[in-house]
Amino acid sequence: MAARAGAAALGIAALVSACGGGGEEVDVDDGNGTSGADQGGGDGDAPAGTLVAAISAQPDQFDPHKTQAYASFQVLENVYDTLVVPDAEGEFQPSLATEWTTSDDALTWTFTLREGVTFHDGSAFDSADVVYSYRRIIDEQLANAYRFASVANIDAPDPQTVVITLSTPTPALLDNIGGFKGMAIIPEGAGQQTDLATTAVGTGPFTLEETGAGGVTLARYDDYWGDPATVEGVEFRYVSEPAAALTALRSGDIHWTDNVPPQDIEGLQDDEEVELGVTPSVDYWYLAMNQTRPPFDNRDFRRGVAYGIDREEVTEAARFGAATTNQTAIPEQSLWYHEYAPFEHDPDQAADLIEQTAAATPQPMGLMVTDEYPETVQAAQVIQAQLAEVGVEIGIEQEAFATWLDRQAAGDYDAFLLGWLGNLDPFGFYHAQHVCEGTSNFQGYCNPEVDTLLNQAAAETDQEARKALYDQAAELIVDDVSYLYLYNPDVVQAWAPGLEGYEIRPDKAINFETVRLPE
Amino acid sequence: MRGRETLALLFRSPTAIVAGAVLVALVVTAVLGDSLAPHDPTATDVSNRLQSPSTAHWFGTDELGRDVLSRVIEGAAVSLKVGAVAVGISLVAGVLIGLVAGYYGTWVDDVLMRLSDVLFAFPAMLMAIAVLAILGPGSTNAMIAIGIVYTPIFARITRASVLSVREEVYVRAARSAGAGDLRIVGRHVLPNVTAPIIVQTSISLAFAILSEAALSFVGLGTQPPDPSWGRMLSEGRGFIEQAWWMAVFPGLAIFVTVLAFNVLGDALRDVLDPRQRSAMAGTGVTP
Repeated sequence: MAARAGAAALGIAALVSACGGGGEEVDVDDGNGTSGADQGGGDGDAPAGTLVAAISAQPDQFDPHKTQAYASFQVLENVYDTLVVPDAEGEFQPSLATEWTTSDDALTWTFTLREGVTFHDGSAFDSADVVYSYRRIIDEQLANAYRFASVANIDAPDPQTVVITLSTPTPALLDNIGGFKGMAIIPEGAGQQTDLATTAVGTGPFTLEETGAGGVTLARYDDYWGDPATVEGVEFRYVSEPAAALTALRSGDIHWTDNVPPQDIEGLQDDEEVELGVTPSVDYWYLAMNQTRPPFDNRDFRRGVAYGIDREEVTEAARFGAATTNQTAIPEQSLWYHEYAPFEHDPDQAADLIEQTAAATPQPMGLMVTDEYPETVQAAQVIQAQLAEVGVEIGIEQEAFATWLDRQAAGDYDAFLLGWLGNLDPFGFYHAQHVCEGTSNFQGYCNPEVDTLLNQAAAETDQEARKALYDQAAELIVDDVSYLYLYNPDVVQAWAPGLEGYEIRPDKAINFETVRLPE
Repeated sequence: MRGRETLALLFRSPTAIVAGAVLVALVVTAVLGDSLAPHDPTATDVSNRLQSPSTAHWFGTDELGRDVLSRVIEGAAVSLKVGAVAVGISLVAGVLIGLVAGYYGTWVDDVLMRLSDVLFAFPAMLMAIAVLAILGPGSTNAMIAIGIVYTPIFARITRASVLSVREEVYVRAARSAGAGDLRIVGRHVLPNVTAPIIVQTSISLAFAILSEAALSFVGLGTQPPDPSWGRMLSEGRGFIEQAWWMAVFPGLAIFVTVLAFNVLGDALRDVLDPRQRSAMAGTGVTP
C-alpha cells in the first residue's frame, strides 16, 4: 500500500516540475542537491529563501482542535496533517492513512497508517496518536466533536492500523475526519504536555517556529514524510489593510496575499506586477431570521422577506460580481449541487405576505452584521433599501465579531447575515444548521420532516440515494426560509508573477508545500 | 454691550469673517439638509455605483450607488449635532465642576480636580473608545463619550479663572454685603469667566467633530446606512484606487469644518483676551 502513497507523492512531484518548467530543471536539481542537502538549504536551482504571505487576520491560537478561525487554519494547513486530505476537486486522498476499507454493513472503517512518519519533535507517528487526537476532540467536547456524533469506538489493534466503529453508517466520515486541519493528528499526550495554543507539534511539511504580534514564521521540516518543501520557510504577515498588502506585493516585499477585496479584481486583471487567482469557492453567505421571535417565527413572513430580496443586486453590491447567486447552500461546481430557485424577486407578493403576517407596519427588524466581514455591512444596506419597499424597516446593527457571536449564541437578535466557509460534504452544508437540536441551529428552525430527511441522508451509503435525500431536505429548508441563501463567493488571491506550484482551491486551504519562489 | 463690542472687533479680522461665513453656511446646510440634497442620501442603486463626479452626481456615487454630495450634506447635520451635543455636555458638566472646585477650594477642589486629572490622564481617543465599549456603538453614545472626554478641559479652564476672580474686590464686597454663594457665583463670578470658556467651546467643537469622525471611522460612531463624514471616509478608503471621490469629499468637509472652528476660536481668543493669549495657549489646543 506504500505503492499507492508513493504514486500519490509522485503525482504531486510531477505537477510541480511541470509547473516549474520541465525536466531540465529537475536534472540540475539532482546535480546540486547532494552538496546542500545536509544543510537543509539545498534546493538545487530553486531560489532558496522564505515565502512571505500576507493574510488579513491574526490567528486566535494554534491549537487545531480548538480554534475556529480561518486565519489559524491558513497557518496550520502547512503544519499539521490529517488521515485523509481533500484534493482540489474535494475528493479524498491518502495522507497519514495510506488506504482504508469499509465493512459490508458500512459500520467499520479500517485505516492503514503511513510508515516512517515523524512528528516535529522527532517522535514516531502511530495509531495511538490517532486515537488520542480523536478522543481529545470527543472527550473534551471540543468545537468539532459533532463530527464524531456517529462514532461508537476508535481502536488501535496495531501501531499501523486504526479501526473506527460507527453506530450508524456515515458516508461523510472521510470529510468528517479529513475535511480540514481542525481534525489534525497531534502526538499522544500533547494536549497536556505542550501548550498547543502557542506551539505546534505536527507531521506537516513545515514546523511552527516563531509567533509574534506581527506574524508567524514556519521552517521547512526536512524529515517530512512526503517530498520536502521547496522553500526554506514561510512567513505569514498580518496585513489588515488591503491597499498595504497589494503595495507590498507589487514592491516584492511579499509573495502572496488573500487580502484582495472584490472591488480590486477588475483593476488587477491587467496588472503585470500581480498574478490574480479567482475561482468559485464552496462558501455560502446567507440571512437568518430568529424563528423564536414573532413575526419571524411565521413561515409566511419569512417567505415574504425572501420574495422581497433581489439577490442579484445584493450579490453585486457585496461582491462586485465575484460571486454566484444561489438559493441553496451548495455551489454549482459541487457534485452535490441541486438546482432549486423558487423565489423570484417579487415586491408585490412580498408586500402581501408581510402585510398579512407583520406585527406592525412597517415591521421593524434588527439586522446584525459585523465589520469583520465588510461584505455583510454592504449587503445589509442594500437589503435594507429593498425591504423598505415591502414593509420591513431594517435597523442595521454593526457589532464587533466577538459581541456578534455572543448575541447569536444568546439568541439576542431579529436577524443576521453571515457565511459558512469550507464545507465539502452536504452533511457539513445542512446538518448541524437545520436539524432541530443542531449545534449550529442558532435561528431556532425545527421541521420534523427535514430532521427525518437529514438524519436518513447522514446514514445513507448509496451516493445517489443520499443526494436525493439532501435535495429534498434542501428544498424544504429553502421553502421554509430556515436560511435565506444569498450567494457563493469566489476565492480571490494574488501572488507574485513567477511564483510556481501554488494551487488556488475552492475550500481556501492554503498549502505552500509545493511552491517555488520566483527567480 | 460687551457682546456687540466683541463682534465688532471680530469683524475686523478677515480670516474670522471667512471662518464665520463657512460655519453659517454649514449650519444652514445642516438645517436644510433634506431639501438641499439632490438625491436621497441612503437610496442605493447598485447599477450606478462608483460613478465619477458628473452633472448628475457632483461628487460622484459610492460603492452602493448612493450620491456622495447628498451624503456629505446629510453628514453635516450628523457632525454638527454630535459636535454641539457633545460639547454641550462637557460645557455644562465641566463649567459646573470648575465653578464649584474653584469657588469653594479646599478639599472639594482637591477631590474634583484629582478626578478630572484621572480622566485627563487617558488619551482622549482611548477614553472615548473605552466609554463606547461600555455603552455600545451609536451616534448618541458617541456624543456622551466625547462629552465625558472633554469635560475635564472645561473644568480646568473654569477653575483657573474662578481662582483669580474669587479674590477680586467686587466679589469680596458682595460677600460682605451678605450675598449668598449662589448669587455671588451666578452674578459676579460666572460672567467674568466666560471669555476663555467661549474660546474653548469653539475649539472643542472642532475636536468633537474630529472625534466623531474618528469614532465613526473605526465603526463605533454613527451606524450605517446613516451618512457621517468619518464613516464615509472609512468606506471610501477601500475604494481609493477606483473612486477617489468617495474619500476626498467627506475628508474635505471635515478639514474645512475643523479649520473654520479653529480659526474662529483663535480669533475669539485674540478679541476676548489679548493679554491672556500666551497663558491660554497651553490649555486651549491639546484635548
